Amino acid sequence: MPRLIIDDLEVDVPKGSKVIDAAERLGIMIPRFCYHEALGSVGACRMCAVKFIQGPFKGVQMSCMIDAQDGMVVSTTDEEAVQFRQRVIELLMMNHPLDCPVCDEGGQCLLQDETVSGGHAIRRYRGKKRTYRDQYLGPYIQHEMNRCIHCYRCSRYYQEFSGYRDLGPLQIGDRMFFGRFSDGKLESPFSGNLVDICPTGVYTDKTARFKVRRWDLHRAPSLCNHCPLGCNTIANAHYRGVMRVEARYNQDVNGYFICDAGRFGFSYSNGGALHEKRPWTPRIQGSDVSAKAAIAKAREDLDNVAEKYGPGAIAAVGSARNSLESQCMLGKICRTRGWRGPVFFTDPAKLRKTRSALERLDGDIAVSLREIENADFIVIAGADPLNEAGMAALAVRQASRKQAPIVTIDPRPLFLPCDFDHIPAAPGKIELYLGMLISAALAKDSTGFGKEAVDFYSALVAEKGKSEVPAGIFSLAERLGASQRPVIICGTDVTRETTPSFTADCVRLLRLAGKQAGLFYLLPGAGSFSSALLSGTDGEAFGDLIGDIENGLIKALVVVESDPFHYYPDRVRLERAMESLELVVAIDYFPSSTVSRASIFYPASTIFETGATYVNQEGRAQFARPVHHGGVPVWGGEHPPRVYSNSIPGGDHLPAWKALWEIAGSTPDTGAADISPGEFIPAEHAAFEAFGSDNYPVDGIRVLQGKAGLTGNWNSRIEESSQRPENAEPLELLMVEWMFGTTEFSAWSDSLASAIAEPYMSMNSKDACRAGVCDGDRVSLELDNGTIEIKVSVSDRAAEGVLVIPRHQSLDWRKMKDFSVRVLPGKIRKI
Amino acid sequence: MLPDELKLKLEKMISDAESPREKAIDVMFEIQELQGWMSDEAMVEAAGLLGMTPLELEELATFYDYIYRSPVGKYVIKVCDSTVCWLEGHQSIIDYISARAGVPMGGTSPDGLFTLLPVCCIGYCDRAPAMVINKRVYGKLTPEKIDRILDKLANSAEFHESE
Repeated sequence: MPRLIIDDLEVDVPKGSKVIDAAERLGIMIPRFCYHEALGSVGACRMCAVKFIQGPFKGVQMSCMIDAQDGMVVSTTDEEAVQFRQRVIELLMMNHPLDCPVCDEGGQCLLQDETVSGGHAIRRYRGKKRTYRDQYLGPYIQHEMNRCIHCYRCSRYYQEFSGYRDLGPLQIGDRMFFGRFSDGKLESPFSGNLVDICPTGVYTDKTARFKVRRWDLHRAPSLCNHCPLGCNTIANAHYRGVMRVEARYNQDVNGYFICDAGRFGFSYSNGGALHEKRPWTPRIQGSDVSAKAAIAKAREDLDNVAEKYGPGAIAAVGSARNSLESQCMLGKICRTRGWRGPVFFTDPAKLRKTRSALERLDGDIAVSLREIENADFIVIAGADPLNEAGMAALAVRQASRKQAPIVTIDPRPLFLPCDFDHIPAAPGKIELYLGMLISAALAKDSTGFGKEAVDFYSALVAEKGKSEVPAGIFSLAERLGASQRPVIICGTDVTRETTPSFTADCVRLLRLAGKQAGLFYLLPGAGSFSSALLSGTDGEAFGDLIGDIENGLIKALVVVESDPFHYYPDRVRLERAMESLELVVAIDYFPSSTVSRASIFYPASTIFETGATYVNQEGRAQFARPVHHGGVPVWGGEHPPRVYSNSIPGGDHLPAWKALWEIAGSTPDTGAADISPGEFIPAEHAAFEAFGSDNYPVDGIRVLQGKAGLTGNWNSRIEESSQRPENAEPLELLMVEWMFGTTEFSAWSDSLASAIAEPYMSMNSKDACRAGVCDGDRVSLELDNGTIEIKVSVSDRAAEGVLVIPRHQSLDWRKMKDFSVRVLPGKIRKI
Repeated sequence: MLPDELKLKLEKMISDAESPREKAIDVMFEIQELQGWMSDEAMVEAAGLLGMTPLELEELATFYDYIYRSPVGKYVIKVCDSTVCWLEGHQSIIDYISARAGVPMGGTSPDGLFTLLPVCCIGYCDRAPAMVINKRVYGKLTPEKIDRILDKLANSAEFHESE
């Protein structure tokens, strides 16, 4: 630990820290442009000059380029250093336009701040300024090269950190330009971070242009609830609309960055979906009513159903979109009122997978995104990090940059923004190949494993001989054997039900073999961790209810921030079932199919309008603060109603849990005022004992505790045998997620529409041959309830025996009899 | 786009290299040799051969003086634009060439014969002022000498002087 003195203050820093970081620990922010903790030092801007008074360096030096060392005495306020920085800022400002008053970066601009703090106020340069032609960079990023100070942050982030290759430094000297080869949309789904990382206004948020000045924004720490990672964000609102979302630093979760789906996928909250508007007002049978009337009617109708058929005829439906508050309230109401449920998952298999994942996860082996970055070997089994949880792909890339080998075992022809070895594996073979990799990596001497673990290990070894071996697996196993901190990322979407548990045993085996092995599950949604915990061991999914709706056991549904129409694979059957219900009460903020069919609708507030807790996939509970009250925005086409009133138009919404409490929990006199989350959350599950809905630490709380010792159940065995598919064997249809185009958020946020690519079906070339189709063909695929038309992408990197189709919003895919179906090659026809 | 013969040659060159990227400049020179400059189409095609993105190749192409991203004349006159040549009157050399060949700095003459560009120090300081035309270096320039050189170049496309 080097100890040095900066501005007369002593500080100890970890070895390898730069002086600029050491100063930051003391609260001294040395001016900088090119230096960024996530990107490292390049010494390009010369702005962080300080004076070294004692120690191995002397005189004015760049604090970002010099490692802190024992005995250094550094002054940031020395006259020589101050004057140096003043000259540098004058030089950097030489060509910079004086457009701060109209610049979108104005008010949040590092260049602006440091020009003022550097004391440069009067331009001495009288020559012509250098100017550029800007490029079109797509719908999200506005380019304005004249403002550039050549710090290289953008190209270092874009190419080195995030691994995309279509934006970089061009030209030389005074013509130096950062941009693309030619105008066009940026390829990276992490491009929005350019806005945060640029120290001036070269890249600004195009979606927020001409709407608001920075200092007029209401800002609050928020969370992204699009995927299970729980990335930290800052929500910015103005005039009853969310204007933009920025990344918020969290060292254990997302670091400095977020993906574009999380950054730009907020417009649902402002009511601006392409085809449907956000429902602002309570409704009974489709007609707008007052909040009071809707609540009273819902109470009355639910009481009637309970009286007529018993409370068990009412079922409560939540989802992975729910906050922890909503989920716990659903649990509380169902328990006290005797309702059926709550159900949070649509697919029963996915509930079982998530539950078995959580059973096997504890504080010792669950790793955060940060720990993935530091892994020295990563196996990705049945998971698509880029599409299922974008920032996980960036974390994997950071590990890869540190030379960690990355192996994917997956049926999809995956893409990751780094080098990786892909082993195509149908879902039934993921365990087999994972087992092969693990058993080949571990030393044959398994003494000290314990008998059950030895049995598990022997079973892996025995299985190894029974089937063909994917190319290269043994050389990979060798490197896994040499690793110290391997991580297995396991998915819960395309995997078999046994895979999460099998993966956990593999991780435990690696730990028994002396490795600091970690486990990272990709769960199906932001609230899926808590919902699986709350579902208990006998919990059901929506798919389990539909039979009872059809045979009349269930007469009413209370649907809270959930849309079975989005997830249920058989739309015709679901429509019939929903029609047979006597009552559907929906509480939501999306204009979903369920909402439009509800007998009674109550508007819920979004995460931006309500404080909401989410527990991410590693069991970290985090709290999003409300940023504004919300209501019909006062800008953008629609004028609010011209009537005098004390309330905000469209401002009747409540947090879903409060609305639910008013409808089914409280007495009519007390309303929602008589309960706070701190009163009902702890009672719902032991993991949430310490919870209120406020006062969380900045980095969240891990609800998973380490269990004493290594507990494995060691019962998992590779389930499926591994014969090659016969010619006539049906292909397994895998419905998968894409970052853009498959989620409810992208369905209702017009801001994401431009990022959505055309859907295509992936298949292996041998299967394509059997079906008689080629790459790029359009085909019709015959499903149980009709056909879908889709483009085909043929690849040897897709596993044999599967068809992979995204749950794409422009694809009418809900024609399947069940959640998992198989299709004969003959059902695929070229059009 | 690229002739098959050249393409085969480039492919061989790239596959012989330890990493394809290291041949990026050579590939661009080969194409330029044939086509005179690197068009957008040529850039895209070359990048494809090298396993690079067009942007990555463009980063290199626009860094170097000797790769042309717009058409140039048959003879590219590069007048040294560094200290010693400045002292020895490089501006009057530029003015003279401009007037003589009818081409402004950065431009190409109407007959497509000459393009005039500045270049960083070419190490001919002892014979300043100096210039490079295609791959030949000329030092101790005077108006008479420039006349002689340009006349010969204009008269013979194959002309080479060994001064």
